[in-house]
Amino acid sequence: MTREAWVLGAASNRFGKMKESGREAASRVALEAIDTAGLAPKDIGYTFVANAFGLAERQAHVGPLINTALGIPEVPSCTIESACSSSSAALHEAFVHVAGGFLDAALVVGVEKLSHLDTLTATSYFTIGADYPFESHNGATFPGLYATIANAHMKRYGTRPEQLGSVAVKNHLNAALNPHAHFQKPITMETYLGSPVIASPLRLYDCCPFSDGAAALVVVAGERYPNPRTEPLVIKASTRAGSIADMHDRPDLTSLPASQRAAEAAFRQAHVERSQVDFMEVHDCFTIAELVALEDMGFFAPGEAGKATADGITARDGKLPVNPSGGLKAKGHPVSATGASQVVEVFEQFNGTAGARQVPKTNLALAHNVGATGSSASIHIFGRR
Amino acid sequence: MTATWGLRCPRCGQFDLVEFALSGKGVVAAFTLQNVPADEFVNDAPYAYVLVDLDEGGRISGWMPTVKSDGDLAMGDRVHWVVSYKPGVQFEKDATASVASGR
Repeated sequence: MTREAWVLGAASNRFGKMKESGREAASRVALEAIDTAGLAPKDIGYTFVANAFGLAERQAHVGPLINTALGIPEVPSCTIESACSSSSAALHEAFVHVAGGFLDAALVVGVEKLSHLDTLTATSYFTIGADYPFESHNGATFPGLYATIANAHMKRYGTRPEQLGSVAVKNHLNAALNPHAHFQKPITMETYLGSPVIASPLRLYDCCPFSDGAAALVVVAGERYPNPRTEPLVIKASTRAGSIADMHDRPDLTSLPASQRAAEAAFRQAHVERSQVDFMEVHDCFTIAELVALEDMGFFAPGEAGKATADGITARDGKLPVNPSGGLKAKGHPVSATGASQVVEVFEQFNGTAGARQVPKTNLALAHNVGATGSSASIHIFGRR
Repeated sequence: MTATWGLRCPRCGQFDLVEFALSGKGVVAAFTLQNVPADEFVNDAPYAYVLVDLDEGGRISGWMPTVKSDGDLAMGDRVHWVVSYKPGVQFEKDATASVASGR
């Protein structure tokens, strides 16, 4: 790394069902993020877009549409695809360019719109992100793939449905305080346990919703902005890793090796310890994914995250708040907007604008974003100036 | 062993791969009852998506249209591959050697 890269501005719309198209939503949040940063569109040197399922809107190559809408058609752009980790991958690209000295300011925009599709069509679109002929063509959906992880985790560690439920209850409670969230209503354990089984053992409330949404970040070289208007997030680490693509080819079903590898690299890059992390945004596409993520990143021993969650350690007022935004589970999961939106939450927490969901300590935070069943993973660690 | 398309071993990078015939028999390593399917499987739901540890080594994805509830299958059950006109690799439970119920 040659120089410090910061997230200077961040913005998100409300996740859920968007009336407008993806390009419109993306352009609006992009402009808001640039405004927040105190920059003008002309300051942007490159636009990195994430829009994995843009074809569901019959639209590819959305970068030039966004830049045109922002009045900067001459600025280069490209789309970065890494399934559900697309916009954290786009952030990584922005980081590499800015920290490496190739750009002074970059825009990261993640957007997805799928609500015009019915559940069957949307579920089927998502299966394209797995190994289509070898997994999806054997009847696996994403709830199904994560259900086999839950199945194996329960068998090996005795993880209980109530422990999965405690993730859902916690994240819905947090989302109820987040104006960006898809679901802004707490749920009870009874509601969780009474919800229908989607792919056993996962119930409806174990699963994130199909959401529309858009989120944007402005990444700058710190040395170029000596008097920042916001409290910038210093990117202490930006790492990515992969795993064997197919779950059936991995030696262990109860962990995602990409998360383990990205975490090891991230803590090395940031020169910080796990005990220094004040709060985290973690990829909880399904409740089991949050537990596995906390174990893979080394915050809890394998099999221990369920108990820790049930004990309130990861609650907003607990020792280690996890997903104060409500996570994918309740804030919503507009595939390619998710990674950027995790960073929006960190930005609001660092700037003291998170309102009622403000966590007490905000000096060091981590964002963890997974593509598919962990065939890709990104981790970012943020500190203060 | 790998159960997807590849040019090298995904675990060790070894390129000296050997193809061999499988008996299609194995043991259920993990499974889920898919109540909400993808479009190709909509007429067969619910069904089980299974990960099967094959007798010759390696693990493979498959599915079981005859499994209609969680109680119909358990991890560790023996299953075998069946020929079908339907997509994917289809498994069935082995006939049990001894009748468990007293009916």
